[in-house]
Amino acid sequence: MSLVVDSISKRFGDVVALDGASFSVEPGRIFGLLGANGAGKTTAMRIVLDILRADEGRVTWMGSVNTELPRSTWGYLPEERGLYTKMKVGEQLRFFSALYGVPDDTARAEITDWLERFRIPDYFDRKVEELSKGNQQKIQFIAAILHDPAVLIMDEPFTGLDPVNVRLLKEAFIEMRDRGKTLIFSTHQMETVEELCESIAIIDQGRVIVSGPVRDVKRAMGRQVVKLAIEADGHGADWLGQLPDVDVTAEREDYVELRVPADRDPETILRAALDRGFRVLHFEIAEPSLEEIFIEHVGRRAVDEDEEHLATTAKEAAS
Amino acid sequence: MSGLFPNLFHVARREYLVRVRGRAFLITTALLAVAVISLMLVPTILAATGVADPPAVAVVDEAGDLPVDPVTVVQGALAPPESDGADQPQVVLEDDPDAAGQAVRDGDYDALLTITRADDGEVAFEFLGSASPTNQTRQQVNAAAQQITVADRLNQEGVTPDQASEIFAPPTFVAVPIDPDDARNEEDFGGAFILAYAVVILTFMAILTYGNWVAQSVAEEKSGRVMELLITAATPRQLLIGKVLGTGAAGLSQYVVIIVAAVIGYVVGGPISEALGVSGDSPISLPDLGPTIVLTFGAFFLLGFLLYATLYAAAGSMVSRVEDAQQAAGPLIFLAIAGYFAAFSGLNDPDAQWVVVLSVIPFFSPYLMPARMLLTSPSAGEILLALVLLAATLALALWIASRIYSAGVLLYGQRVGLRSVWRATRVAR
Repeated sequence: MSLVVDSISKRFGDVVALDGASFSVEPGRIFGLLGANGAGKTTAMRIVLDILRADEGRVTWMGSVNTELPRSTWGYLPEERGLYTKMKVGEQLRFFSALYGVPDDTARAEITDWLERFRIPDYFDRKVEELSKGNQQKIQFIAAILHDPAVLIMDEPFTGLDPVNVRLLKEAFIEMRDRGKTLIFSTHQMETVEELCESIAIIDQGRVIVSGPVRDVKRAMGRQVVKLAIEADGHGADWLGQLPDVDVTAEREDYVELRVPADRDPETILRAALDRGFRVLHFEIAEPSLEEIFIEHVGRRAVDEDEEHLATTAKEAAS
Repeated sequence: MSGLFPNLFHVARREYLVRVRGRAFLITTALLAVAVISLMLVPTILAATGVADPPAVAVVDEAGDLPVDPVTVVQGALAPPESDGADQPQVVLEDDPDAAGQAVRDGDYDALLTITRADDGEVAFEFLGSASPTNQTRQQVNAAAQQITVADRLNQEGVTPDQASEIFAPPTFVAVPIDPDDARNEEDFGGAFILAYAVVILTFMAILTYGNWVAQSVAEEKSGRVMELLITAATPRQLLIGKVLGTGAAGLSQYVVIIVAAVIGYVVGGPISEALGVSGDSPISLPDLGPTIVLTFGAFFLLGFLLYATLYAAAGSMVSRVEDAQQAAGPLIFLAIAGYFAAFSGLNDPDAQWVVVLSVIPFFSPYLMPARMLLTSPSAGEILLALVLLAATLALALWIASRIYSAGVLLYGQRVGLRSVWRATRVAR
């Protein structure tokens, strides 16, 4: 059983925010939601949280429809950070815990524990407005997890954090996953996704373009990336480009990057190089990066739409 | 949807504590308390500083043949009704008009009345003192002059002073109340009138001030984006009702401080005057109100406040910036002010048809019904109808407001129109 988002649609007036988006998240995993600004990530999260109701489609967690689940199922870190700036950290976190029904002494202990873990143990009695952005962000994260939710939903949690705090937050993510929690977060930072996520979904213009385990998504791209370095005074590219099905995607100072269809054995390139008598210094078979996948999917769709648009305009002009 | 508790309590508690601990609240409350105590002590202060001393008037009678004693008449016109000794005006017959005029300029007298017999045989008066037409002493002396002239003319027509006083003796006039239990009497009426004003003003202030707090606080949560977190932790109804109750409780705390201050001022006024050796008795005697009436007033006040505050919360949820909250609450403010003015006009004629009708209509009844209860005798049925209608409207307002609230809290952007909120209420939960 898992979190299933089943073809949800949502429109605000004339704007279509989500158009039949579907994806599913395995429990106890970290899931990345990728998309450009305005792609529909935040709307999708709000619908999962039942802050918004979808026009169509439904969301289930462990087989139950989300509208019937207790609110404490979810922990939420909104994109626009929101805390009472004039309230003290401890008092504020206790207030949110109380709303979720956490006993006050448990909440106090947990808050102290997390403040220590985030290296800000003295901030219990500080007003939020006195804290730096990074530290406010940590408080926001603590507010999302104090009631021990099964699913954590975080909208752009890494935005605006310095590298040290990014590190701390990533560690907290992994800790939560190890406690058996399910984590869903949206981001623009592909390296973070590569590092943390087992599965992803790419959303564009309200539609899920790709989703599934990162490995499968990469394989589904239908190609492999080969990095080859040979001792040949930089003349490698000419003959490599003439090999069947091989595209040279980048020619660097010390190596060449090639794209090979998935059904072709990349070792044929290595063999070809050896056959030509080159000395091979480096040979690597890699999968395309998420960055590439994202740009290819989102970028191509944008082009598609332009073409569609051109086609209709042409038709209209012809008639 | 889950029940209201305990989250309603947590929200209300936070709202109350944040409000009551705020510096603005503490300062305002302290200032109001000081102002109210001072206001209650005004009679004592005036007496102690001599501003409220009874007037001293000199009379010079150059006519010499008046049928009545001018000093007695002036004395009678200046004396407040039922006054007892200490604040009796001082009226002295002087011989020398020039010396007396000098004494007025020196401040020994407040005024000088010179009475002469004119060539045409009429009595003529000259008043030396404050020339302001609204000056009370001048008006009272003028009335005395009127009496003296009438008595003088009657005398010239052959009517003796004894006959004249018989002619002008007041008739026997007894006012019998329709409701025999209506214990209101003439002395109580002044106090009842002032109390009615106080009730109307206090209700109005509570609605405007504390209602505005509610709207501001909702808009603050929205603009500070805490709302997204709150709405995932609690239901819109819990948030809405908790906020209204928490703010209301803070406002009520302020009122309790003000009322306690007023009572302190009222109670200590007498002893302080006595210690100072002056008469500073509050001129108002408050009507004796039974516990039922006080409880009914409380019910009208609370229900009225809750009705307005609930709608203020909805208004606050429709805007994205705190600055816009006041504007969104515009129609409500208009309604509150309309009720306030209706009540003020209604106080002068509490039995008029339109006052009776408005006093049962929600939004107006919190002002008008308590005022009518003080000044006249609305039937128990009318009072009950007003309360039931008010409670029903509150229930309806809660339902509508929590829909607007749950739709409005996530609508960010420019000012949200009522129409788009209405659309949103149908798609939101």
